[in-house]
Amino acid sequence: MRIRTIKPWWVIAAFFSGMAFAMWAEELILTTHESRLEFSAPRVHFLAGKPLERLRNASEVPFAFKVTLWSGTRNHMLREVQTRFVVSYDLWEEKFAVTNLVTPRRTARHLTNLAAEAWCLKEMSTDVTGIRPDEPLWARLDIRAEEIREAGLPFGRGSISDSGINLTPLIEIFSRPAAATQPHWIQETGPVTLDELRRGRRG
Amino acid sequence: MRKLLMSGMFAVVLPVMCAPLPDEPPDQETGSTNVNTRLIVESVQVSGRDRARLSNPLRSDLDQVAGRNFDPPLLERLRSRIKQELHVPEVRMHVAKGGMPDHVIVNFEIGVEREKRFALDLSRFLYHSKQGWSGQGHATMNLHENAFSFGMVSDGDRLSERFAGIQAGFERRHVGTDRLRLRFDFSSFHEQWNQASLLVAAPDEIYRTRTHFSPMATVVILEPLDVSVGVDFARYRLSLPVANTESSNAVVTTLRYHQRWGSAKDAGEHDLRASYSLRAGTHVFESDPVFARHQTEARYRFRRGQQDLAVGFLAGTISGRAPLYERFVLGNAETLRGWNKFSLDPLGASHVAHGSIDYSYRGFLVFYDTGAVWDQPQEREQKQSLGIGCRKSGFQLAVAFPVKSGTVNPVFYAGMNF
Repeated sequence: MRIRTIKPWWVIAAFFSGMAFAMWAEELILTTHESRLEFSAPRVHFLAGKPLERLRNASEVPFAFKVTLWSGTRNHMLREVQTRFVVSYDLWEEKFAVTNLVTPRRTARHLTNLAAEAWCLKEMSTDVTGIRPDEPLWARLDIRAEEIREAGLPFGRGSISDSGINLTPLIEIFSRPAAATQPHWIQETGPVTLDELRRGRRG
Repeated sequence: MRKLLMSGMFAVVLPVMCAPLPDEPPDQETGSTNVNTRLIVESVQVSGRDRARLSNPLRSDLDQVAGRNFDPPLLERLRSRIKQELHVPEVRMHVAKGGMPDHVIVNFEIGVEREKRFALDLSRFLYHSKQGWSGQGHATMNLHENAFSFGMVSDGDRLSERFAGIQAGFERRHVGTDRLRLRFDFSSFHEQWNQASLLVAAPDEIYRTRTHFSPMATVVILEPLDVSVGVDFARYRLSLPVANTESSNAVVTTLRYHQRWGSAKDAGEHDLRASYSLRAGTHVFESDPVFARHQTEARYRFRRGQQDLAVGFLAGTISGRAPLYERFVLGNAETLRGWNKFSLDPLGASHVAHGSIDYSYRGFLVFYDTGAVWDQPQEREQKQSLGIGCRKSGFQLAVAFPVKSGTVNPVFYAGMNF
């Protein structure tokens, strides 16, 4: 009777292809850097489609971002980070510029589309000081492209002042569901613990 | 050792030099969020239909943008003004690289109005105390830039006869180019004559029915100037004891000018319309009457705030023997208001000259008309009339008085779109 054996290289190939698939399938990736939780979403490309059309027509396109962090059995909201970015596309340089409107305003220029998307997500990092390392966490990323209103002011008259951006309309935006025609992206991940993230397991 | 050191330095410096710019640290700033505001506008263009109707002040404002920095709020305001001034549903702004580095070209594209597949319009409605009711309505069906219309009319105001019947038409608004339109009209009317007209008319002048078929082409020569050329094939049945049908086939040419400065949204608005038309019945088209009818019209309107002033002028002459429906009539709801057209000339005349001034403030209207109709120079007698009333959103209600010695016999009229 001949005994069949599984060759080791098959096991290794299966492991790496499984891992690659798992990474590819991940929508929202969490990483920790010192006391901050950072986000990346390599499969989310919001600088595409209609927003990109508007950008290539020299318009600026505002995006509303929200990151929500839950713990326990996803019944306890730990953090909610909301901000707005205005993206524009230099017709001659063919590069993107992004401004985070939360005071103090920060702008990054000469970015490729991927770099601009990554910069926005990097700006969404949140402090996780005080969260237990073994506490299961869920995260959700919500991105919505907004229309330009009121003669070019991205978020309506009165939203931006010397003291910064008024967040009330931002809260209103996320309080209502995205319109069918409004480009929006939602990604989720979890449960994952800070320990797992620090050991190298990606969220 | 030196080689090793140099290699090490290159290994460190080269990747740094080749590193892409994106990683530069973010700026903290409060300036514009649109990176294109650093670019210069090379030129501003307006494309699409009706661009010729833009007022001169708006054109001037558009021209002034060239040479300045790209300013999205300013361009958005201009886009909005174009939309308001032309009453179009959409104006899109396209921005593209210009011919020079760091320059852009801005193009405002006037969107095509979304066609109503089916529309019903009451195009004219009038009550005149001397001439009774007049009305005209039509239904239009639009199919891919082709408009088919069907309407009914009963009009006792415009001509010396009351004509009632049907109208049908086909219009192609775009024939290869926006500058060429084609139109075919068919109409069939029954006539009613006032006793005053019947008393003075020759038996072979009065007709009971008439039908028209008129193909017409309109060419935009140089905006805002256009010309229409066509033929009006008319057949009318005379009221003779022995039924007899005559044809009046006339070449029709109309030259029109329409310019507007400002719009209803602006504080001030000017509007100038002028036209010259020639209708020539000729044996070439086997027309029974041979005639040439020249008519010129001009109307200037000025509005500032709630005040509205309109000055109108009409002159015309007919040589030869034209059918009665071609003759000039004064003394209706639009000319020599207050006079009875049948007392001026019951059959209309071969010559006309007319002027009018209308002034309204907050809908309150006063007007003055003067003019004359005549066949022979010795018959020419200038008439005048005055009137007051109100006008709002196309609706008008007025009392007009002929200026003459003796009795005061006012005329009352009310209606819309006349």
